[in-house]
Amino acid sequence: MRGPAISRRKLLAGVGGALLGASAVVALLRTSGYDVPDEIAGALTSLEPWEYVLLQHAARRICAPDRPGDRSIPTADDTNVAGFADSYIRTMSADLRSDLKKLIALVEHLAPLPLGYRARFTKLDAVAQDRVLASLESNDVALLRGGFAGLKSLIFMGYYRDPRTWRMLGYDGPRVGRPVLGW
Amino acid sequence: MLAGAVIRGGTLREDVHLDVDAVVVGTGAGGSIALRELARAGLRVVGLEEGGFHTSADFNQREEQMLPMLFQDGGGRASTDLAIRILQGRGLGGSTIHNTNLCKPIPDEVLQIWARRHGVVGASPAEMRPYFEQIERELSVSEIPQNMQNANNSALRVGVESLGWKGAPMKHNRIGCQASGFCELGCTYDAKQNALKVVLPQAAEAGARIYSNVEAQRITFANGEITGVRALARGDAGQGVANLKIRARVVVLSASATGSAALAISSGIVDPHEQLGAGLRIHPGAVAAGIFDRDMKSYDGIPQSYECTELLSFEEGSDRRCWIIPAFAHPIGTASMLPGFGAAHMSAMRTYSNLGVLTAMVHDETQGRVSAAHDGRPKISYSMIESDRQQLAKGLVACARLLFAAGAREVTIPAIPPIRLKNKADLDSLDLSQIRPHSVPLTAVHPMGGMRMGEDPKTSAVKSTGEHHHVRGLFACVGGLFPTSIGGPPQIGIYSTALRISKHVIERARR
Repeated sequence: MRGPAISRRKLLAGVGGALLGASAVVALLRTSGYDVPDEIAGALTSLEPWEYVLLQHAARRICAPDRPGDRSIPTADDTNVAGFADSYIRTMSADLRSDLKKLIALVEHLAPLPLGYRARFTKLDAVAQDRVLASLESNDVALLRGGFAGLKSLIFMGYYRDPRTWRMLGYDGPRVGRPVLGW
Repeated sequence: MLAGAVIRGGTLREDVHLDVDAVVVGTGAGGSIALRELARAGLRVVGLEEGGFHTSADFNQREEQMLPMLFQDGGGRASTDLAIRILQGRGLGGSTIHNTNLCKPIPDEVLQIWARRHGVVGASPAEMRPYFEQIERELSVSEIPQNMQNANNSALRVGVESLGWKGAPMKHNRIGCQASGFCELGCTYDAKQNALKVVLPQAAEAGARIYSNVEAQRITFANGEITGVRALARGDAGQGVANLKIRARVVVLSASATGSAALAISSGIVDPHEQLGAGLRIHPGAVAAGIFDRDMKSYDGIPQSYECTELLSFEEGSDRRCWIIPAFAHPIGTASMLPGFGAAHMSAMRTYSNLGVLTAMVHDETQGRVSAAHDGRPKISYSMIESDRQQLAKGLVACARLLFAAGAREVTIPAIPPIRLKNKADLDSLDLSQIRPHSVPLTAVHPMGGMRMGEDPKTSAVKSTGEHHHVRGLFACVGGLFPTSIGGPPQIGIYSTALRISKHVIERARR
């Protein structure tokens, strides 16, 4: 007798959900060994210090410069991407916030494992971190790909909100306070 | 006038008990018209808006500040499988605050299908025309002249003309436009002739009261009749500050296609045929980006003033169901859409000022479903069917052809991995199976359905009058009423349908 049919999409979504849940459990057990200055940790409103560190590391890779050594390119740290994320997450609905935190835990604790890395994400070097992030972006599990896209959007929001990044884009910024053409 | 009629939820210091004729939940295109018409009819009417009351002075053209202010879930709302980002507005004026002012009536063919296939009565082309005309007059709708087309829109026009395809300038509802290009973040110059600027002040003048930052949490009913709404007023940090208990004989759901259905479902509205939330359409779309040798600055100027309708037909069974329009974003939106990350992504971002971007939006046949999460918020399930996927692929190929015809030296379809096309010949060998959800980032801005109208309770949630099949006094006045996709911008259709439905609401409220 055959059991109920389950589509590959549903199966993969289920796997993604289970992985996110498992990551959250692992994260509960492994939140020590993160070095965050007291003044930053004390000012966090949404993120735990270890989550802040993960976002810092992910942002450094996601916003890595295309011209290494070019000091005119602001870094993810210059633009305080992780600090921005902390304040932005506060505006999210409880469900979204919870999902994002599960994803953060997954990136830190579980995503390195299938690639053979036994260390957590924030202990990996830049090359390994890039491999982990790339594996999420092209993951077979659609929910993880979608989750990565959300994480990427949040980090780019933190980075490209900074006017110092606009010059390299040729973007003039808001028109507020400047003369406009009209018609 | 409007400011005097709006009570901000955060200012309430104690619970509120009201006894009115009607409550309208949501203040976008549909809700604003319902509020105005009911107030003008002399009824005691209250509007509830989950978002805030913002004015042009608040719209500072900063993406990271406007997204959380003007969009549900800070712009991060998505289908449950995370394949499609779904942008929906919040705040007084709803999605008319952030839309790009596109104005088209519902096509005659679509209205005829609604009558023929879905049993909708009272909404034939001839019956709807006066409503369309009235709304277009009230919102000062006019065609954008060619000299106001920005580089991105001009590129689409040149592409259309070069290929001999069908295309036309778009009509908009704007007066005194400064062509800043920040329409999707709210109009700093108060040029949008939208619900906030035009309709809600009229509603206020006629006597409507509106609560902002107040979330309707439950529709109450007894013995098949509406009894009112329970709501929660929230402070600036989102904390609950006061409860509202409103007694009313009529409740009008105008809280978007998704929010209206979710509220009805979470309120336990009688639904024997599971029609609440059913039949959701969203016009899913994806983009193709052309790199031009010239400076485009596509972010500058009116975002969408020209359309390509070569692949758009409204006949039943048509295999041309793609609407093509320009789609440019500011840096954060663009960065989120481009594939990859790190150095390669930053190199791609350096072409920002040279990009022309088009979107192919599918006049979809997929039927998604809205359900309610444990907190009452909408959960959106939408798995694109194969024929819609093929339409999307066809549309993106057409976008690439248009961009090459307009002079692009390279076209990228953001996908994982990215699809890079060096010339027109590359299109012939393109593997279209790569273009699918989860591979190509999809965005939807036009949720429709979920509260479908029709005469058969087995295939629709509400009657053609907008009243629920099983609960008297519960109406929908929202894009959720549409039984199918409409294949174009919905705002004129929603305003006009609301005008028609409001007559029935008034009739019920007066009984």
